[in-house]
Amino acid sequence: MNPAHAYLNQLTRRQFFNGAGLAMGGLALNYLAPRLSAAAPAPRLFPPLSDFPNFAPTAKRIIYLHMNGGPSQLDTFDYKPALQPRFQQELPESIRLGQRITTMTSGQANFPVAPSLFKFAQHGQSGAWVSELLPWTAKIVDDIAIVRSVHTNAINHDPACTFLMTGSEIPGKASLGSWLSYGLGSESNDLPAFVVLTPKFSPKVAAQALFTRMWSSGFLPTTHNGVALRAQGDPVLFLDNPAGIDATARRAMLDTLGQFNHHAAARHGDPETLTRIAQYEMAFRMQTSVPELTDISAETPATLDLYGSAVKEPGSFAASCLLARRLVERGVRVVQINHRGWDQHGTLPEHLKIQCRDTDQGCYALIADLKQRDMLKDTLVVWAGEFGRTVYSQGTLTRTNYGRDHHPRCFSVWLAGGGVKGGVIHGETDEFSYNIVRDPVSLFDLNATLLHCMGIDHAKFSFKSQGLDQRLTGVEPANVVKDILAGSK
Amino acid sequence: MFAAAADQVTYNEHIRPILADNCFACHGSDASQRKAKLRLDNLASATADRRGVRAIAPGDLSNSEAWQRILSADPEEVMPPPDSHKKPLPPTQRALLQRWIEQGAVYQNHWAYEPVSHPALPSPLAGAKETDGAIDRFIAAKLARHNLTLAPEAPRDVLFRRLTLDLTGLPPTTVELDAFLADRNPDSYDRAVTRLLASPRYGEHFARPWLDAVRYADSHGLHLDNVRNIWPYRDWVASAFNRNLPFDQFTIEQLAGDLLPNPRIDQLVASGYNRNHLSTSEGGAIEEEAEARNNIDRINTTSTVWLGLTAGCAQCHDHKFDPISQRDYYSLGAFFKGLADRVWDGNIPKPGPLVVLGDAKVHARLKAIDAAFPPLAAALSAKAEAAEKAQKKIGKSNEIAEVVANAARVDPDDDTDSLSPAKPKQATAKRTTAVSYEVVWAEDADTPYAINYGKPAHAGEWRTGPGVPVVGGQRALHLEGSQERPVDFGGGELLLIVRTTAKAFAYFQADPVQPPRAVSLQFISEQKTKRVIWGDPAAFGPEVAKDAIVAGPLPAPGGYTRLEIDAVATGLAKDKPYSGLLVAQSDGAGWWDHIGTACTSPSASVDPLLNSGAWVTGLRNFGRAEAGLPLPHEAIFLIGLSGTQQTIEEKARVVQFHRDFIMGPLRATLEPEANAARRLLVERTHYEMTLPSSPVSRELPTPHPAPILLRGQYDKPGELVSPATPAFLPPLAATGARPSRLDLARWLVDPKNPLTARVTVNRFWQQLFGAGLVRTPGDFGTQGDPPTHPELLDWLASEFVRTGWDVKQFVRLLVSSRAYRQDSRVTPELLALDPENKLLARSARLRLDAEVLRDQALALGGLLRPEIGGPPVRPYQPINIWEPVAFGGSNTKTYVQDRGDALYRRSLYTFMKRTAPAPAMSTFDGPSREFSCVGRSRSNTPLQALALMNDVQHIEAARAFAERLLAEKSTDTKRLALAFRSVTARQPDTRERKLLTDSLTTHRAHFSRDTAAADKILTNGESKPATTAPVAEIAAWTMVTNLLLNLDETVTRN
Repeated sequence: MNPAHAYLNQLTRRQFFNGAGLAMGGLALNYLAPRLSAAAPAPRLFPPLSDFPNFAPTAKRIIYLHMNGGPSQLDTFDYKPALQPRFQQELPESIRLGQRITTMTSGQANFPVAPSLFKFAQHGQSGAWVSELLPWTAKIVDDIAIVRSVHTNAINHDPACTFLMTGSEIPGKASLGSWLSYGLGSESNDLPAFVVLTPKFSPKVAAQALFTRMWSSGFLPTTHNGVALRAQGDPVLFLDNPAGIDATARRAMLDTLGQFNHHAAARHGDPETLTRIAQYEMAFRMQTSVPELTDISAETPATLDLYGSAVKEPGSFAASCLLARRLVERGVRVVQINHRGWDQHGTLPEHLKIQCRDTDQGCYALIADLKQRDMLKDTLVVWAGEFGRTVYSQGTLTRTNYGRDHHPRCFSVWLAGGGVKGGVIHGETDEFSYNIVRDPVSLFDLNATLLHCMGIDHAKFSFKSQGLDQRLTGVEPANVVKDILAGSK
Repeated sequence: MFAAAADQVTYNEHIRPILADNCFACHGSDASQRKAKLRLDNLASATADRRGVRAIAPGDLSNSEAWQRILSADPEEVMPPPDSHKKPLPPTQRALLQRWIEQGAVYQNHWAYEPVSHPALPSPLAGAKETDGAIDRFIAAKLARHNLTLAPEAPRDVLFRRLTLDLTGLPPTTVELDAFLADRNPDSYDRAVTRLLASPRYGEHFARPWLDAVRYADSHGLHLDNVRNIWPYRDWVASAFNRNLPFDQFTIEQLAGDLLPNPRIDQLVASGYNRNHLSTSEGGAIEEEAEARNNIDRINTTSTVWLGLTAGCAQCHDHKFDPISQRDYYSLGAFFKGLADRVWDGNIPKPGPLVVLGDAKVHARLKAIDAAFPPLAAALSAKAEAAEKAQKKIGKSNEIAEVVANAARVDPDDDTDSLSPAKPKQATAKRTTAVSYEVVWAEDADTPYAINYGKPAHAGEWRTGPGVPVVGGQRALHLEGSQERPVDFGGGELLLIVRTTAKAFAYFQADPVQPPRAVSLQFISEQKTKRVIWGDPAAFGPEVAKDAIVAGPLPAPGGYTRLEIDAVATGLAKDKPYSGLLVAQSDGAGWWDHIGTACTSPSASVDPLLNSGAWVTGLRNFGRAEAGLPLPHEAIFLIGLSGTQQTIEEKARVVQFHRDFIMGPLRATLEPEANAARRLLVERTHYEMTLPSSPVSRELPTPHPAPILLRGQYDKPGELVSPATPAFLPPLAATGARPSRLDLARWLVDPKNPLTARVTVNRFWQQLFGAGLVRTPGDFGTQGDPPTHPELLDWLASEFVRTGWDVKQFVRLLVSSRAYRQDSRVTPELLALDPENKLLARSARLRLDAEVLRDQALALGGLLRPEIGGPPVRPYQPINIWEPVAFGGSNTKTYVQDRGDALYRRSLYTFMKRTAPAPAMSTFDGPSREFSCVGRSRSNTPLQALALMNDVQHIEAARAFAERLLAEKSTDTKRLALAFRSVTARQPDTRERKLLTDSLTTHRAHFSRDTAAADKILTNGESKPATTAPVAEIAAWTMVTNLLLNLDETVTRN
């Protein structure tokens, strides 16, 4: 950092804390009087709710890797060798059970079984089966818990993504990250509690849309909205000073503004004015902390190698994973990475390969990097799409090509760190990966588990809105998936 | 809530909230969840003797089992029970319950469901002003119980800024301010109110909270989130406020304007209220599910906006806290089951039913077209059907006949979920052999297309009669002299593409007496093509001659010669589109006839002229990117649907439309019937494309069935219900056998309805005072907050109804009160006593809403454009707001910023994209309009600081503001004074003056040293600096105005 800037920044921090502690009606401070004593540990500007966390958390922060579009469990984690001889056979009615399917395939005359084209092998001490599409993820199977029995209610992207992230298919509810920001506050005074990344995806794939409601605070105060960290333009909206205004000019303007606003606070007695002073100072600090955050030049070659060459392309999935690590290092509570393009209705083998290549090493590197920094133990990492895909082929099935439709009844998700046991395989689907036969995990259960790791009792975590105690985990009972947590047997 | 020691504890104000929060889930109105058969929301049950035990014994704490359970330390006994996750009651709530039981446990019905009363005014308190109106008497009476009084009136300048911002959403100009301050007449304030209410800015400003409530937006909201063109509804709302349309009529026109006798166009536009819900045509979506979601959205919005009810809880089960059963809920939904709009929006901008906005003449013409079209279309269809049958007979012996006979059998590509072109499908009649055919585009007349509509007629004349030589049909085209004449092959609805080969031909016969020097043919395309000349190569001038191909001499007179040109040979590559043929003649005279194309396609199934599926697929992919196709709205809508979204009848209509109007080989046969019908179609399309139109409500002859959805699930329909209003509210007066939307609308604004007036006045109160008398504007049920001033609320509601729902008069009533005009300063003592200002002992300080912040900056910079209404605009937006989230095929994928004046329109007109709202709005709590919002939050975040400091719109406004100061005043002192007064309306004090002067000095020094930086400051924004002041001066002043635009006082309504 530029030493002059560092000084200004340090000065600001102290001014800010003095300012925030200023008694109402007090006089403005002498802004330029230097104080040389070491700064006391900074008090938290965004403290948790009282009684939060409800109990000792195993995770302090969470990184959510959302594979948008619905990755095929059949071609990644849910190994079904018995399907191979059933190539092109009709999906038995005893499996389909008349369950609804989307109107994209409901008109198909046949539902021919499409076994995965990809080879699976067992990996690690746990012997978890992983497809050849994910060679890097295969290396970390002993650090992750694979849940093969997650299910959802929604069968189309828009409601399913909304449900995954907010616990409701209908827009308007708070997202997981917003809930966590609301309940647990922020560890950082310089960065938002909840940051969202939307990395690039392969242009060869027609990608589904994202919706800002996936990181919206819904009925919670809007302060808890996820803040999108952008790969193009200002990393945080309006972060950069306008052309012609440098940090010195900005600092001078802010100094005057602070004095005006302290004067106004005295004049009006409005506590919001003091908050506003604090927010302008935080904005100024963000002008430094965010560029520092996104500048990866100080990362060691060894670390960069972990993530692969794509890490140097701004906005790549690998770069986003590295950023996620840098964010949580700096106290950000929740990082959500939304990688798009997993909606393979047709040409699945070719396109899924591209998707996996885009993300596989980044996932691996994130886990390995957190581990080498001893941060995996209290950082929860989740990898999940919004639903799974059908065992039968959508469109023409050949020996080398097939597509798969949306399948909400089962899909695979993995979790790591933050109190999650590594090397665990949880839940089981039938031989067609169509229905769950053991240990079903609803999205409510999954969210209850994430909250549990963060030290929150999901049943008690509610916010009154629209006449209801709203919960991330809905009104029906939800269960923490204890079997995948460390300390469980 | 405050309960001063002297207060009577009342059930509605104090007790019900406690019981509702802690007890009613198990001891309330939902019978299915009730424990121990005990209800605590009802006197009879609560006080009933159960084997010697009474839950509540009025006046007798020790015998009140409920009270004892609340006190209990035994986890088996204590209420609420630990497994309910409720905490034990805090001491304050216990004290209230204790006093209530001691005072006799008097129950009251829920206040909001009781008829609105017209309470007597409290008598003026000692020391009160004679002029105190009703509002102030109610407020002062309550304040007095806490030994408080209303604060003194705010300083006049501050008050004037408050009033101007609140009524118009814009700051006062210093001229307006000076005039007001100079006016010492007793009615000066009142006249200011009159002036502001008459400003068109008032309607724009008051429209906005309403648009939040009814979730108006410019995009569909789901999946593709494409453009939705319903801005005329937005303009109607603003105009309704400006016209001061009474609120009851405002309600009726929105819910049921279409059902009024002979509805006017504006009333139809108003009925677009019912078309503001989110919609989708996501491939794979299930119609019943989407239909249920739309219906639920309509129920929830209507009940939130007018009734303040959280009806949504009754979607899955009887409401746990309010007396709304699941049956009530779906009965309310049944009112909307007759709406004629399809569940699917086709992803198009204007899904029908629509109303075209236009004058009486246009509408008379549209009516005439609608009357004249059906018989023409029927005649055409009959002829086409006969032609098709005839082709079927020829059938296999003739390649083209077979194609025609099978054209309908190939389904369009069903998968709208992906945009990958033409995937292999289980097609039933796919030809994979090449097909060659001819299409005659002009035989007896030109084909009329929208693209030509209103343009001058083409040269030449189609003649018939003795002596006219014809090739086909009855007419031939006569050209005289040097003429260029385009022949259209389709107005864009065809997307003609060179597949394998394409040739254009025309039959020509020269006049034997005066033959032309030359004639030529040329493909019309956006690609550059070469002209082919017969006759003198120089006849069309040297420029043409340079690039032309010479085919040979002019054909000899005496008979027709077929002239032909080849697309590829004239430079039109494969897969490139073309739209017509240019026929040209130099001097002389000649006959032209039978003009068309001869094409070869690799297969019939990929050729839009041969196959309806290929036609639709081509247009669908094209139509997603381009909003305006020259086709009737209905055809565009059908094309937007995937095959599975079309009904069987709609599929048949698409096929029929293709056969009658598009099918290439049938064209020559179907003239002139096709052209007669097409001419009307084109004219209607012309109006639809060039005049604004807006989605409206229309009632189906037979409404859809309305089942109760068990557990709220679309695939679990239960008993069918009829339209009805909730049983606990006054009955509905139905005018017909089946209650209509119009009945519902009238019921909502029936003075007997206890909710609508209360809910509405509360929202206006909230808008002007910062918070409602009921703090939960969307929940007037038992879980909502009770009113802070119940009698005042009722008085206001009854007054609003009594005065004919006169909104402007009501707004005047509020802003004229002393309560509104109070000073906003707060002492630490008062802040400690009443942090939320529920007693109203001061005015609220409110951070300005997103739109007001932006509009204020534009106004101060002198940049704000005054135009009212019209299509939404796209002002500055940081890059990559839409792009990273949008679906590839969405027409709102890429944000293309407008230029010029559109950058400076009021924020009301900024394009509202639901899945990625403009940061200038969302950063400041502007809602996404995905669901009804009747009260915004008012957050205070660092992102707001960054936006106000750095957003180009704000820095440009600061720069323009600086230039204004430099131009209008001559000295620093005068400029600083004007600047400060412009933003705060008041004079700076000594300290503020010094801060400003110092700041200017600092920045001046900075920029005189760094002129390069100063130059750069001038580049912010697209408007050009207007002053001749030195650049460093403009830059320094820009920093000062940027500072001023960021003052706490500037971003706050004080």
